[in-house]
Amino acid sequence: MTENTIEEVLTLNNVEVVYDYVSLAIKGVSLVVPKGGMVALLGANGAGKSTTLKSISGLLAAERGEVRRGEVKFQDQNISGLMPQDRVKLGIAHVLEGRRVFEHLTPDENLIAASAVRSRHDAARNKDRVYSYFPRLFERRGSAAGYLSGGEQQMLAIGRALMTQPKLLMLDEPSLGLAPFLVAEIFQILSRINREEGLSVLLVEQNAIAALEIVSHGYLIESGRIVMHDTAEALKKNPDIQEFYLGGAENKNFRDIKHYRRRKRWLT
Amino acid sequence: MDIMLLLESALNGALVGLMYSLVAMGIVLIYKSSSVPNLAQGAMVMLAGYVILAFANQLNLPLWVAIPLGIVTMFIIGVGIERVALRRLAGRPIIMILMMTLGIEIFLRAGSMTIWGGTSRPLPIGISDAPLFLGPLLINRAYAVGAGVAVAMFVLLVLFFRTRIGVVLRAISDDYTAAWSVGISVERGVALSWAISAVVATIAAVLWGSVQGVDQSLALLLLKGVTVAVLGGLDSIGGALLAGILLGIVEGLASIVLDPLLGGASRELVDAAMLILTIMLRPHGLFGRHDIERV
Repeated sequence: MTENTIEEVLTLNNVEVVYDYVSLAIKGVSLVVPKGGMVALLGANGAGKSTTLKSISGLLAAERGEVRRGEVKFQDQNISGLMPQDRVKLGIAHVLEGRRVFEHLTPDENLIAASAVRSRHDAARNKDRVYSYFPRLFERRGSAAGYLSGGEQQMLAIGRALMTQPKLLMLDEPSLGLAPFLVAEIFQILSRINREEGLSVLLVEQNAIAALEIVSHGYLIESGRIVMHDTAEALKKNPDIQEFYLGGAENKNFRDIKHYRRRKRWLT
Repeated sequence: MDIMLLLESALNGALVGLMYSLVAMGIVLIYKSSSVPNLAQGAMVMLAGYVILAFANQLNLPLWVAIPLGIVTMFIIGVGIERVALRRLAGRPIIMILMMTLGIEIFLRAGSMTIWGGTSRPLPIGISDAPLFLGPLLINRAYAVGAGVAVAMFVLLVLFFRTRIGVVLRAISDDYTAAWSVGISVERGVALSWAISAVVATIAAVLWGSVQGVDQSLALLLLKGVTVAVLGGLDSIGGALLAGILLGIVEGLASIVLDPLLGGASRELVDAAMLILTIMLRPHGLFGRHDIERV
C-alpha cells in the first residue's frame, strides 16, 4: 500500500469476466471501496454492474461465468479462488437484484437461514439488530415472505445480508420497482447503518438521482468498462451525467432535444 | 358384500399406505431441501435391503448390528451420490438433474442385479405372522409395525425441518443463488438431504424387506412412493403421511371390490388413476406449497 491515508476494504484491478468461456461481460473494471465508505456503481441495463458484483461475491460460477483476468482484493487478500460461503465468512454480503427472498419461509426463518456462517448466539443478536432497523419486518415475521410487499421484501433482503455480519454490503438495484418514498426510506436506513456501524457499502443503481444523494463517490460503467469516476458532487454537476442519467437539465423543451447532437464525451 | 371384510381391508390398506409413505417421505425430503424430484428412491430402498443382507449373511452379523451398519453405509452412499453425480449439476436445468436421478435408479438396479442376482432373499426381523385382533378385525402385524415406524419418522422429520439446519435446507430449495449469497453451502445441504433420505430408505427397506423379501421388486416401490408424494404435495411431509393412508385405503377397497370384476391388477390401476388425476386436477397435491404470486 502507498502512503494513502484512506484504507480500502475492496479493490478491483482490471477485472475481466467471461461467460461460457467466450462472451466478455466486463472488460477490465477497476474500482475501490474505502473502509467505511459508500460508493455507487452507476450504469444502464446490461452495462456489467451485476456481473461486477458477482465477481466480488463469487456467484459467477453458478452462471458459468469466471474471472479471467485481474484481481479482486478484499482487505488486502486476493479472494478470486474462494467459494461464495468463504467470502461471506470474510464479510462480503451481496443483496441480489430482484430481492430474491426465500418466498416460502417466514421473514424470521429467512434471517435464521442467512446466519448459517455465524454462531447461534450471534444469530440471535443480529436478528434483534435487523428488527430494530426494520421494525416492519418484525410485525410481519410470521407470514410467508413471498406475500410481503416489494418494499418489505427489499428490507428483508437487506436484513438477511446483515445477518452475515458483513464488513462490505453490496446492493444490486435495491430501488427496482419500489415507490419513491420507499426508496428514500430504504436509502436512509442504509446511510444510518453505514454511519452507525462503519459498514462499507457498494451500491449498484440505475436510479442515479437517489444513489448520488447518499454516496460519497461514484463510478460509471458502460459496456463493461468504467468510463468515469468522481465524487458524488462532481458527478451530479457533470453535464453528461445530467443528460444521460439524471433525466436531463431542468426547464428543457423536449421538442428541441436532438440526441445525435450530443455525444458522450468519454467516447472519444 | 361383507361390511366387515371391507373394513378390514381398508384398515390393513391404511397401514400398508403408511409404509408407502415411508418411501414417499424420502422423495419429499429431497424435494423439500433441493427442489429435486428424486426418481432413485425406490432403488435406494432396494440397495439398502441388499446392503443389510450383505452385512448379515456375508459377514454373519446379527441383524441388530447389520441394520445400524446399513444405515451408516447408506448415509455415506447418499453423500457420495451428491458428490459424484449431482454437484456438477447444481444450477443446471432441473430436467438434467431429473434424468440424472433416473440414471442413478437404473444404475443401482443393474448393479445390484450383477452383484446379488435376481433371487429373493428373506430379511426376517422377528415379527410374528400371527395377526393382531382389533375386535373382529384381523390386522397384519408387520403392517402395523411398519405404520408405527412411518408415523414416528414423520414426527422426526417435521421436527428436523424446524431446526436451524432444516430451515437452511428449505431455504436452499427456495432459491439456490440466494442461498449461496448468504453463505449457505448449497452443496453440503444437498448432500445432507440425500444422506438423510438414504437413511429413511434404509428403514423402509427393513420393513418392506421383512414383508416381501429383498429383491429387485423393492425398487418398484418408487411408483407407490411417487404417487403418494405427488398426491400429498411434493414438499409436504404431513401430506405424504395422509396421502399414503388415502392411497392405501383406496387400494385395499379396490382389491376387494374391483379385483373380482377385472380379474386382478386393480391396485396398479388405482395407483395410476390417483397419480394422473392429481396432476390433472390438483398439481400441487393435497398440501403442497403453491407458487407464490403477488398481485
